[in-house]
Amino acid sequence: MKTIMLVCSAGMSTSLLVTKMEKAAEAQGIEAKIFAVAEAEAANHLDEIDVLLLGPQVRFLEGNMKKKLEPKGIPLAVINSVDYGMMKGDKVLEQALDLMK
Amino acid sequence: MNGFIAFMEKYFIPYAAKIGGQRHLVAIRDGFITTMPLMILGSFAVLINNFPIPAYQKFMNNLFGEGTWQAFGGNVWNGTFAILALLIAFTVAYNLAKSYDKDPLSSAVVSVATFFTIGAIAPGVDGIPNTGGLGSTGLFLALIIAILSTEIFTRLSGSPKLVINMPDGVPPAVSRSFAALFPAMITVSIFGLITAFFQAAGVTNLVISFYELVQEPFMGLANSLPAALLLAFVSAFLWFFGLHGANIIDPFMQTINIPAIEANVKALEAGKELPYIVNKPFFDSFVNLGGTGATIGLIIAIFIVARKHKAYMTVSKLSAAPGIFNINEPMMFGLPIVLNPIMFIPYILAPLVLVTVAYIATAIGWVPACTIVTPWTTPPIIGGALATQSIAGGVLAAVNLGLSILIFLPFAKIAQIQELRREKEALAAEGVTAE
Repeated sequence: MKTIMLVCSAGMSTSLLVTKMEKAAEAQGIEAKIFAVAEAEAANHLDEIDVLLLGPQVRFLEGNMKKKLEPKGIPLAVINSVDYGMMKGDKVLEQALDLMK
Repeated sequence: MNGFIAFMEKYFIPYAAKIGGQRHLVAIRDGFITTMPLMILGSFAVLINNFPIPAYQKFMNNLFGEGTWQAFGGNVWNGTFAILALLIAFTVAYNLAKSYDKDPLSSAVVSVATFFTIGAIAPGVDGIPNTGGLGSTGLFLALIIAILSTEIFTRLSGSPKLVINMPDGVPPAVSRSFAALFPAMITVSIFGLITAFFQAAGVTNLVISFYELVQEPFMGLANSLPAALLLAFVSAFLWFFGLHGANIIDPFMQTINIPAIEANVKALEAGKELPYIVNKPFFDSFVNLGGTGATIGLIIAIFIVARKHKAYMTVSKLSAAPGIFNINEPMMFGLPIVLNPIMFIPYILAPLVLVTVAYIATAIGWVPACTIVTPWTTPPIIGGALATQSIAGGVLAAVNLGLSILIFLPFAKIAQIQELRREKEALAAEGVTAE
């Protein structure tokens, strides 16, 4: 069971993507807990996740988040902006799984 | 155009991104976000008490007796707008301390104490305490206090010299509670002293003086067409480069928004002209239709003139449902609008035109100024009617929606022509290689 967290400004558009990713995970038979939170909430969840994905519009959080996550060995990345815009759940899921390898 | 984009990406965007992550601004924004549900509730209390239909007022008076049924709205008001500055003193300090990884609860409590130290409730001349500082009048000062007191308190709490050493055997939880003792006492005392100096100099109500000297002129400055144009421009401009523009300017927006709304509500109750045209519901209801840049206009324009552009149609269909609730990331990154040279002009122009139209329509009195804080996800047109408590507000939002479609139409058409030409060329190229 892998836990994937998505972060954007208010957790609105990422929550759309979460639904698509859950469907993709189900189709591929992957067990994953995927959820989206607002930027302000992100710090409260850092101990329960295996990977963090940032919406491209909040890519400026990357440096700060990296500082917090690297000591824990948790990978993070900014979601590919075209995949984000087209809400490609399978592609973003793949990105998350690749990061955890 | 490409040179310009490359230039901006290199020299401007990194700085904008820094502002977006600046810890004090983030703390202010997140502090306001925490109070949002209360401000929306307070707004609806105002709506219930002042619903602008005489028949409704009469009905309520007959049902519950004149003057008594407003008590509910008044009570809710007392718990929301009337204590805004107090809430902000707490929430901003909490978020700031959290970003420093220091004890957020202690910092927030110290900040509230400090806010009272400087006179959130000032002793009045006639012995009746003046509670005005708790509401939006004290807002700017509450923000400043939250930041200063937290900066001082979190630094002092890090100092080993100020920690009382407990003998062995004392539970760690107890010794931790003593850790905040001296830092808290010192922080609050500093501001107690500062206030005493001001009082000795004849400034008896620091909050009101600060309001008159700084907050009121600043709000007046922000309540102008150029200021509104600037805010609309910055937000759309940052979004064009893929940064969450609204998020980055939100600390400024929120700070002028709530006092402006409260001033409007007070004027409404007193039957005076509404003083502040520019505020956040103004942008949410009349400018950011479907999201920053009025992108719902683009979706509709594509449905009208660019049906043959397959990629645009796919994204527009995907974006229509979230767009109704003003979420436009699929349009921004999927179409994409971000770094798209064709879309640059309409995307920046649309909000500027909508701001101008909405400002003028409000200034000449066709549409009342906003008095209600609506959630930013309220669908277009409904949002305009709700925020202004008027049909005219809904009509203005609809007119602006029409304008945004007109602005995007030619550019959607150009995009389609280019796409079709590219397809043709690709086909021709394939034909050549097949031969």
